[in-house]
Amino acid sequence: MSVAIATAKSDQSGGVYEREDLLNGCQAVAQGVCLADVDVIAAYPIRPYTEVMDALSKLIADGKFDAEYIIADSEHSQFEIVKHASSVNARAFGGSSGTGWMYGMEALVVTATDRLPPLFVVGNRALDDPGAFGVEHNDAMSVRDMGWLLCWVTTPQEALEHVLIGYRIAEDKKVRMPMGLAMDGAFLTHSQHMVKIPSVEAAKRFLPQYDLAERRLHPDNPISVAPQANEDWVMEIRRQNWEAAKRARGVIKDAYKEFNDIFGDRYAAPYYFDEFMTEDAEAVLIGVGTVAAPARTAVRRLREKGQKVGYVNLRWFRPFPTVELRESLSRFKAVGVIDRDFAHGSPDNCGILMHEVRSCLYPAKNRPVIVNFMGGLGGRDLSIADAQKMFDITQQAAKKDSMDEFVTWIGLRE
Amino acid sequence: MIKRVEVNYRGIFQKNLGKKIGSDIVMIASRMGQKAFSNGRYSDSPERNGIPCKYFAFVSPDLAEEELEAECGAKLEIDEANISVVLDDTMCKGVEPWGWHGIRPINERVVKDGCLLVFSRKSHDELLKFIGKKPYSYRLAILDGDASLAGLWVNKDDFTYERTLGGIAAIDPSLISIEAVEAYLLEKTKDKHRADAARAAYESLRQEAKPPRVRTVTPNDGIEWIHEIPVLPKWFEMQEGAVVPAVKRGFEMGPRGQTRNPGFKRGTTKTQRPAVRFDLCTKCTLCWAECPDECFDPTTDGFYDIDYQYCVGCGKCAQVCPVKECIVMVDELQFEDDSSPWEHWKKDSQDYIHWVEDKKGKDRVSYQVVTGKGMTVTQGEVMPEGKIVPVRRTEEVEV
Repeated sequence: MSVAIATAKSDQSGGVYEREDLLNGCQAVAQGVCLADVDVIAAYPIRPYTEVMDALSKLIADGKFDAEYIIADSEHSQFEIVKHASSVNARAFGGSSGTGWMYGMEALVVTATDRLPPLFVVGNRALDDPGAFGVEHNDAMSVRDMGWLLCWVTTPQEALEHVLIGYRIAEDKKVRMPMGLAMDGAFLTHSQHMVKIPSVEAAKRFLPQYDLAERRLHPDNPISVAPQANEDWVMEIRRQNWEAAKRARGVIKDAYKEFNDIFGDRYAAPYYFDEFMTEDAEAVLIGVGTVAAPARTAVRRLREKGQKVGYVNLRWFRPFPTVELRESLSRFKAVGVIDRDFAHGSPDNCGILMHEVRSCLYPAKNRPVIVNFMGGLGGRDLSIADAQKMFDITQQAAKKDSMDEFVTWIGLRE
Repeated sequence: MIKRVEVNYRGIFQKNLGKKIGSDIVMIASRMGQKAFSNGRYSDSPERNGIPCKYFAFVSPDLAEEELEAECGAKLEIDEANISVVLDDTMCKGVEPWGWHGIRPINERVVKDGCLLVFSRKSHDELLKFIGKKPYSYRLAILDGDASLAGLWVNKDDFTYERTLGGIAAIDPSLISIEAVEAYLLEKTKDKHRADAARAAYESLRQEAKPPRVRTVTPNDGIEWIHEIPVLPKWFEMQEGAVVPAVKRGFEMGPRGQTRNPGFKRGTTKTQRPAVRFDLCTKCTLCWAECPDECFDPTTDGFYDIDYQYCVGCGKCAQVCPVKECIVMVDELQFEDDSSPWEHWKKDSQDYIHWVEDKKGKDRVSYQVVTGKGMTVTQGEVMPEGKIVPVRRTEEVEV
């Protein structure tokens, strides 16, 4: 269905939105890919990502979109096709979920070490075994150390917009890193919402042409990409990648500012994360993905009861917004970190996000008490009541100024 | 005190031989109450046919094992070599172990009064025609013999291994003594003739041996060898994304007319090079088409010149050439430079034919592809000028 819209916002921003559609997360990404005028798409099915490739093939079949669309024989081939297309200056797109993402890992790693900027969507899915279709974040987080850009969106609208924002950042000559656009599988991927679709002109204004310039693989520009290079080259290459990941932080900020200039104030500083009712908060929760909705609702309800709580929705996981998040979280007495992932046997047996946040806070002058919640694994609900429980525990921790147990499992049968 | 031994070997063919020598220096030195360990320069990628590689053994009478390891282990290259063993004398022409470092002299790591120990049929003078000068004196020892090149992940059992141990014992008895070598070989193999082979090599390198096979090389001996290790770019000077500029495309007819990578020539990989009789050539193009390294340069008169700097000596051209004695693989040490054979032939064809037949010598081998029977190797014969004989008609002989 398609609805013509004329909202106040689009009027103010000069008609940058063309229409409004009912889209789920997968379809919204497909619309974004279409607006980004992607040249090459490689596809291999695995749910919940599959609907992205379905939506794209329909757009192409309907004559609404022109792109090379290649069905690969596996995720590994799929990601290699995307990587190689990107190296010849084609804007390229791929995606996967769960174990499919892991199966193509070799290609994902070299895409990053070759510093190529395609965009991949990850419809987060639990890793087998047991086979489960529901969300867990370990799949996307597996590339966290490899030189990837990695962000989570929480609505179909954000999903569409982050295809444009993602390419804009990834392709910047100061960055040139692959972009992982993650969203909670089964929930966001298949949850339909009204989405405002930008006009082609506005999308073009925001997202310049992809230009790999001197690194474009072409007969007129003879180069070798990724030759065997041993000990006398590898450290320098790693250092370059380290530097690019550092530089990306600045480029991300600029990209959001430009996006806001064109599309209205869609995103608030510091962009890497959103804060909700944190101004005078004493205890906050931080998480990634769709848990933001029950968590923010819980904040509203607890605020009505006079409790000083807030929520931080972490959007950018790589590069990690170290300075900004440290500054933000060190204002609070207690921080509860929600992990929809696992890191078995890691320090204090916490989840991955907990390690990141705790490490980020270590040099802070005022270190809050920090606790960890494991919840929503394999796609289990994280409800408003669950969020309230997590706030209770975090507030208790703020009062006690210490915790006996770092990790609390939420929603576990016990 | 640390004694360092390096074993220069050819990838794949001598890989196990090199490792075996390194291992047993450790075994024998340990039995003598010393601390020792062995490792290889793994980045050599010794699984590549013929690539010059190194295996190392480190021995100390007084250092603790961990200290010895800290000094010599977990590093890429040996700091210096008291003994540098060369298992194939064609490596005396220099070694290019890895791209970007250029062609390095075989005696680069040999210390003052150290020893370069070469398996060869050549004389000291003949070898020194290829070896770079050092600013100090060292010894050049020759163990009479051919390169043990038949191994493919295995060790050709021709006593090269036992003779190397015996040779090292003669050069530096404090490293491994001949008595310890013999005792070890006897105990390990129960074959007396293996210990005898080590003893014979030991005797041949002793000072009083006739003819003397160890010679002191003074700073005047050897050739000028200009070798500078390239200065590699800093991290911010390099292209990002593991990108390196490719060789600029270019092509002209004639010698060295095709553009090639000056940073990685790989010519030191070869033990033999193809010698061409242009007068027998039928211009069939097979050598040019089949060469895996694109070493053949088309000439305006329809022939194919060879850029030996880039030839790895794989022998494919000699195998596919349909004319008897037209392309024959010849010992690399017969040749002093990499100049163009076609230019020589154009300048004076008679002189070239005599020159190339002389290089081929009497013990030449020629390959031939016989349809339905696979590849056979035959004894070569001197071919009169301009006489074209298809290889199919030749008779097979044992070589």
